[in-house]
Amino acid sequence: MVNFTVDEIRGMMDKKRNIRNMSVIAHVDHGKSTLTDSLVSKAGIIAGARAGETRFTDTRKDEQDRCITIKSTAISMFFELEEKDLVFISNPDQREKNEKGFLINLIDSPGHVDFSSEVTAALRVTDGALVVVDCVSGVCVQTETVLRQAIAERIKPILFMNKMDRALLELQLEAEELYQTFQRIVENVNVIIATYNDDGGPMGEVRVDPSKGSVGFGSGLHGWAFTLKQFSEMYADKFKIDLVKLMNRLWGENFFNAKTKKWAKQKDADNKRSFCMYVLDPIYKVFDAIMNFRKEEIDGLLKKIGVTIKHEDSDKDGKALLKVVMRSWLPAGEALLQMIAIHLPSPVVAQKYRMEMLYEGPHDDEAAMGIKNCDPEAPLMMYVSKMVPTSDKGRFYAFGRVFSGKVVTGQKARIMGPNFQPGKKEDLYEKTIQRTILMMGRYVEAIEDVPSGNICGLVGVDQFLVKTGTITTFKNAHNMKVMKFSVSPVVRVAVEPKNPADLPKLVEGLKRLAKSDPMVQCINEESGEHIVAGAGELHLEICLKDLEEDHACIPIKKSDPVVSYRETVNEESNQMCLSKSPNKHNRLFMKATPMPEGLPEDIDEGKVNPRDDFKTRARYLGEKYEYDVTEARKIWCFGPESTGPNILVDCSKGVQYLNEIKDSVVAGFQWAAKEGVMAEENLRGVRFNIYDVTLHTDAIHRGGGQIIPTTRRCLYACLLTASPRLMEPVYLCEIQCPEVAVGGIYGVLNRRRGHVFEESQVAGTPMFVVKAYLPVNESFGFTADLRSNTGGQAFPQCVFDHWQILPGDPSEPGSKPYAVVQETRKRKGLKEGLPDLTQYLDKL
Amino acid sequence: MSNFTTDGKICIERELEVSKSEIEFDNLIQRYNITEICNWIKEHNFSKVCLQFPDELIGVSAAIYQEIKKNINVDLYILGDTSYASCCVDSVAAMHVQSDAVIHFGHSCFTKTNIPVYTVLPKKDLSIDAIELFLQGHFKPDDTKLCLFYDAEYEHCKDNIMAMWFRHYPQALMGHLEMNECLNRFLGRTVKNEAGDEFTMESLRDCICIYIGSKGQTVFNFSISVPALKWFLLDPDEKKLEHLEETIWFRRRRFLIEKCKDANVIGILVCKLAGEQTKQIIKRMKQICKINGKKSYIVSVGKPNVAKLANFPEIDIYVMIACPENDLYNNRDFYRPIIYPFELEVALNSNREQYYNYHVTDYDDLLPGKRHHLEIDHIKQETDISLITGKIRETKIQSNEEGGMEVAEKQNWALESIGQNLQDRSWKGLEQKLGETDVKNVEEGRKGIPLQYSNEPE
Repeated sequence: MVNFTVDEIRGMMDKKRNIRNMSVIAHVDHGKSTLTDSLVSKAGIIAGARAGETRFTDTRKDEQDRCITIKSTAISMFFELEEKDLVFISNPDQREKNEKGFLINLIDSPGHVDFSSEVTAALRVTDGALVVVDCVSGVCVQTETVLRQAIAERIKPILFMNKMDRALLELQLEAEELYQTFQRIVENVNVIIATYNDDGGPMGEVRVDPSKGSVGFGSGLHGWAFTLKQFSEMYADKFKIDLVKLMNRLWGENFFNAKTKKWAKQKDADNKRSFCMYVLDPIYKVFDAIMNFRKEEIDGLLKKIGVTIKHEDSDKDGKALLKVVMRSWLPAGEALLQMIAIHLPSPVVAQKYRMEMLYEGPHDDEAAMGIKNCDPEAPLMMYVSKMVPTSDKGRFYAFGRVFSGKVVTGQKARIMGPNFQPGKKEDLYEKTIQRTILMMGRYVEAIEDVPSGNICGLVGVDQFLVKTGTITTFKNAHNMKVMKFSVSPVVRVAVEPKNPADLPKLVEGLKRLAKSDPMVQCINEESGEHIVAGAGELHLEICLKDLEEDHACIPIKKSDPVVSYRETVNEESNQMCLSKSPNKHNRLFMKATPMPEGLPEDIDEGKVNPRDDFKTRARYLGEKYEYDVTEARKIWCFGPESTGPNILVDCSKGVQYLNEIKDSVVAGFQWAAKEGVMAEENLRGVRFNIYDVTLHTDAIHRGGGQIIPTTRRCLYACLLTASPRLMEPVYLCEIQCPEVAVGGIYGVLNRRRGHVFEESQVAGTPMFVVKAYLPVNESFGFTADLRSNTGGQAFPQCVFDHWQILPGDPSEPGSKPYAVVQETRKRKGLKEGLPDLTQYLDKL
Repeated sequence: MSNFTTDGKICIERELEVSKSEIEFDNLIQRYNITEICNWIKEHNFSKVCLQFPDELIGVSAAIYQEIKKNINVDLYILGDTSYASCCVDSVAAMHVQSDAVIHFGHSCFTKTNIPVYTVLPKKDLSIDAIELFLQGHFKPDDTKLCLFYDAEYEHCKDNIMAMWFRHYPQALMGHLEMNECLNRFLGRTVKNEAGDEFTMESLRDCICIYIGSKGQTVFNFSISVPALKWFLLDPDEKKLEHLEETIWFRRRRFLIEKCKDANVIGILVCKLAGEQTKQIIKRMKQICKINGKKSYIVSVGKPNVAKLANFPEIDIYVMIACPENDLYNNRDFYRPIIYPFELEVALNSNREQYYNYHVTDYDDLLPGKRHHLEIDHIKQETDISLITGKIRETKIQSNEEGGMEVAEKQNWALESIGQNLQDRSWKGLEQKLGETDVKNVEEGRKGIPLQYSNEPE
């Protein structure tokens, strides 16, 4: 029985201080969805007994079948906090006066690295994150990645140690050992937090601390959890000690001597760590008694912890009984709710410091102020972070967060896509919002309007947005910042319909697929091939399955996964390259050189970008990359697409009419940067210098027609004379495994051109972490290969890391890059063989 | 084109390639059907006749002129260097001299003209026996339906080919050359069986087609526009049979169709002499663009080349109105791609099937009353995603009823959209930049001749 109504939720939406928007993030298989069930069951949406098995937020069939979350799922829940717990919320912006109810908008996110774009989308619309860590495997690679992302987005984390049941039942850890494990995890998490967060920054201190109650312990599967607050409450009366003080005593180097009744800071013979004594011991006792079927002891214990067994559970024993007992003693939902309500920020608090991270426009305009104050009366500002498929094929709910103002059914609003620029009309639509809806896991509820600080879905705007966008009623509003993903779509598959006549259906399906996933790219290439690009093999597998079954609904032929390459150069052009215009009256003199290491990445990340002030940029380039500052000031453009990692620099002196042909040269550069000379792949990391230009004195003879194709020819000549090379994408691969399996890992990596650059033992565990670079092209089937070579003990996680030169000369028949170039040319329907320099290079 | 040079030595020593045209004056009469030409002229009582020659036959033009003059007394004009392609009849040039008819020599594309034309086809020898052996080695009479096409060069030995073909494959079909416009004519051919019954090109769907000739635009056009089971090219010179498969080409064209949907500004490139159909197709292209809210410009630059078309960087894609034998459609050196009128229709005419497995190379077929004509409907405003740019694309239709936006703002937008392209340019040409440019001393400019100025790097 759901114990709240839509009206109640709608009522709560106005009490913005009592809202908590939060995501659940963790490494894959650490139990996010299972733990989420505890809260869902507390809200009465699923039965308590089924919590932990239902995985309510895994709404798709394949999610249930594979036991892996693929899409992030949102659910809104209403809870009331008890009076005694409310006092813990001291910040007046964290709770409305006289209101016990809390609205929790929770997003359960996937843990597999291939789906981390879903995490990014979830983080954007939430203010707090529940970081779940499996206390048996500890802090894993993805834990660190998502935590880093959260902090970069200014999301406040709280920590939950999951799978305590395993630690007790399977590993049979001693209390002290378990404490040490917990302690280490807390430390590890805090180290990561400290690395990426500045305590003096706007978010303040975000460290997690068990003694403050921001760390939870328990088992999502069994449905029990606690924080030190729960245990302190049990003992506070008995000890006549202040609750907060006691919480501090229950963690860290605090030891209690039961005989002398004295606290100490050091361990000695007679005292015992307070955490073990007061927290773990009772739990151990309950486990011990129940799992060993000591009936009498159980009854005694139950009385002590104040749990009465309901009639229908009375005949249970062993694990089943343990679940029932633990669940009624330390209900997980309650502990989580308290952690969330007390320690995670309300929108009022969070939006104050998140505004500057979220809004592209001036920080003092109406929209910015509306966001900052989470003001429902300000103009509407909503960010749509993803599209959720509806049961109506091809239509989507635009899912996002209202940061300012109110989104109302029937309201006319401006829908701005990521390419919108203030004052222009590109990517801008003024349309009516057909309906606002509340997202409830697998259900949706229509709702009249949604005020700022809340998460909701919209109907009727999906046709105007590809994946994300900003919705506003403010005429001069700028965009909300687009999300930066930690993964890139580097694995590609070409798809075609089995029956050629189904092509239009495939195209339609690809368009839907492009909407439904925050990361996937569906591309129609110059050759006419349809490409689906994803973050990794698993991501692609899911996307293709969705495409085939849900979006296109036709049988599809898929190519083997491939990667895309980039063209670059290795040296400076070995001669001054001259190309003449068709009328022979205009001449361009240029050279290509490779960019210094790190610059292409700086451009990718936007540290160096076309919108910078040219003087600042030149100074930066001068300092970091030793570029001549006068030259660096004359960067004509970036490319391809005006933002890519290649630059065109004017190094000429005193050329007449040069500014007149700039647009034409830039157009030619964009063309060449998009379609390189070797295989018409994008260029990367190439700097072109214009040294001299001779132009016809008559403007009509130096128009675009003369200059654009000539620039392209000249740039091609520059590339060909500068040792052209191919670049391939490389994964950073982190593999966790026991020591015995390390040897097997090396074998597999060596065969796949991978190389290990770090190997370390995870402190306090027998596990090793091996970090390696692995070319994406060699990564297909890597997981399976690794499993079979290590007896299933190694589990890799691969994230795109960088581009790397594919060893070998592409102009040398027999080399690997040569084969790649020829294959690509063939696929694109280009003339096979090598480009001929004489076609591009002219002589005076 | 080779570069200019000042070095006289190179000039003198450079060997020029002169293509040896078949100047065998003895069989001129037979080779170029002089007798038939004379009869034709006499029969129709023409007084002024133009002789149109492709570049490679200019050499024999004078001889032919004299030969005809010898026989009959008519005003003859020699036309060379045709405006667009020598396969098309240059009716405009013919009209300049007010001639009554044109005698067309050389390769022909058989497109309709509005002036009487006598086509003199090139002749090439064909070894029927070799072909016979070849065909028998690859095709069995009881196989699937077969259809044989031959290049216009072999029209002179058509009867021999026919006899041979129907002797071995009595059930098969054959594509005959057809000079005159008629119902089932397609790319200058009509398909008939042994008895002479005509068939439509559509009936070749389950046929294996064989084309005797050399590789080139002509057979290519057949293979893409006739929906046959398979296309084979039998090259008598190379002595080989080649399976023609254009899936890669079709894929690339479908990409261009998408590109056309993305385009905002479309250039209608006129590469065909004025004629009724040309005017009609231009009108139709303009109309389709307008209905879809795309701007269109008519561009007429004579024979197009890369430099000419790159002078209009604002145009996103060109639709070329040209003879189907034009090979610029597949040229990838152009700054912006060039598509066929049919492809523009697929992209923008909502009545047209999005999927097709054959092409319509001849735009004539798209016109009202023709085989592939489809009405243009008014489309509704909609948005979808472009898979090329990954952005939303919108069909913007000019409508007056749209409200909501403030008038002032709308005006701003209108102004802006006019100057959008100009605004995106960094050089607009008219700014004075008063006070923004430094005062500089007079410097010595460049010296020398355009070949190499004194200040240019070596």
